[in-house]
Amino acid sequence: MTSHSRYSYYEILELDSTAAHSEITMAFDRAKATYSGDNPAIYTVFSEEEARELLKLIEEAYSVLGNKTLRALYDQKLFGSNASLDDLSYESLLAASRLQSLDNHVGNATIPLQNQEKVLDLIKATKEWSGAKLKEMRELKGLTLDRLHQITKINPYYIHAIEEMNTQNLPAKVFIRGYVLQISKTLGLEGGSVANSYLSLLGDRTPLARKA
Amino acid sequence: MIKQPEDAKNVIPMRRGLNLRPQVWTVASGKGGVGKTFITSSFGITLAKLGHSVLLLDLDFTGANLHTALGLKPSHLSIRQFFEGEKKISECIVPTQIPHLSYVQGIWDSWSPIALASEQIYKIVEEVHQLKYDYVIIDVGPGATLENLILFQMADEKVLITTPEPTSIEKSYRFIEYYLCTTLKEGSDTEAYSHLIQNLREYRQRLLNEPFSIKEFVKRNEGISQRAYAKLVEKPPRLVVNGVRTQTAKTLGHSMRSVCHKFYDLDIHYLGGIDFDNAVWQSAKSREPVLLSQPFTPLAGQFLSMCKHLIDPTDLRAVV
Repeated sequence: MTSHSRYSYYEILELDSTAAHSEITMAFDRAKATYSGDNPAIYTVFSEEEARELLKLIEEAYSVLGNKTLRALYDQKLFGSNASLDDLSYESLLAASRLQSLDNHVGNATIPLQNQEKVLDLIKATKEWSGAKLKEMRELKGLTLDRLHQITKINPYYIHAIEEMNTQNLPAKVFIRGYVLQISKTLGLEGGSVANSYLSLLGDRTPLARKA
Repeated sequence: MIKQPEDAKNVIPMRRGLNLRPQVWTVASGKGGVGKTFITSSFGITLAKLGHSVLLLDLDFTGANLHTALGLKPSHLSIRQFFEGEKKISECIVPTQIPHLSYVQGIWDSWSPIALASEQIYKIVEEVHQLKYDYVIIDVGPGATLENLILFQMADEKVLITTPEPTSIEKSYRFIEYYLCTTLKEGSDTEAYSHLIQNLREYRQRLLNEPFSIKEFVKRNEGISQRAYAKLVEKPPRLVVNGVRTQTAKTLGHSMRSVCHKFYDLDIHYLGGIDFDNAVWQSAKSREPVLLSQPFTPLAGQFLSMCKHLIDPTDLRAVV
């Protein structure tokens, strides 16, 4: 660790902690122009290597301060009473923000304790994701149809149809794929594979397939 | 009469017509040939046009040529008479063709060089403070020499000129370094000072394992003179980038400010850039100040906005 990594992100970008977002962006642009490439301003003061190191810090500082969520978290820690230096590392901030974004996804509905194992079992056991399985998952996670609609913004009519695999009420295939992707992500499943298996199951039941 | 708000009276210094001492600006540079004399004369002309009484003082001991920048022939009356004890500075003043603008001729008949003592420089400062002018602008010689530094330190506005070339930038940093260290040394305990310099050096070489700031150091260590530190932060040096031809050169001042902050823990203020203009050397050839022959160019606008900022930074104005 170099001495500079102990400075706050505000000090690195030479900003006040009350700086507006536009000021942060401007300071970053200037700092980036100063310490990258062959800017004559660093001539005889900083070596190339030092400039690169500074630039790394500057970019890290901007990736936090330039992001509203991360900045709010950082401010909380920086000006909080019991902030330690480890708490202020970039990694810990990212982890904290991920936790926060998960919270946002599932809202206040935490998974009931007794269901946690069942959730894992269901993920393990399921090879093909049908509408029924998605519904089971949703119920295990304690989400109502309405809540899922609030999070994903998908019309509950369609969520219902997806769970029932009711081809009569479903929209075109590209939309179905998008919806299933979103629903499965919200449920903490791997979106891509779930959507694929769902669509292949559905493929047999589409009106066209039935006619053929 | 328009009634002024109470605090506005305190902010705007009423200099004209009152018996206050003149504001002294010193124009210095790390390297020669970056345009000190041109900028000194242009500041003078701009301030005189704004109606202030201005005295330009040529203290370039390596060869004075402020008169040439003003388009004048060298005068017999020069600062040499002051150094030889014959005259006071107030008796060496020569008027110019520009209303409100006078100057003191530097030493140009340099067949017998003058041995300078710093006491003489302090005496200049003392006399300058008694002159009845709004502004006194001092044009010093190039480089970080002791007499230049004294004149730079005592000025109300310290203007440092650089060009976008690496040679000039490098020497500007050396000048700033010299200014920083010499100022802090004044009135400080020798041991505390060497401790500070060692800390500063380690910090620059990134050997120091904790955040370093001169401010914190001064707070923690009794040995460093508070007054010396106050001098450093009270009026940060102003940086002017002369001969700007590219967009990158225009932002150079911001970059140098940031480097000074990160490396020396010293704040400087970027006053602005001055465009490269062929009219400058052309008018030097014809011995007429460019601001008189071409008064409505972007160049003149740049000098105007810089001067207005230095006169009163709180004064709101349209962007020129």
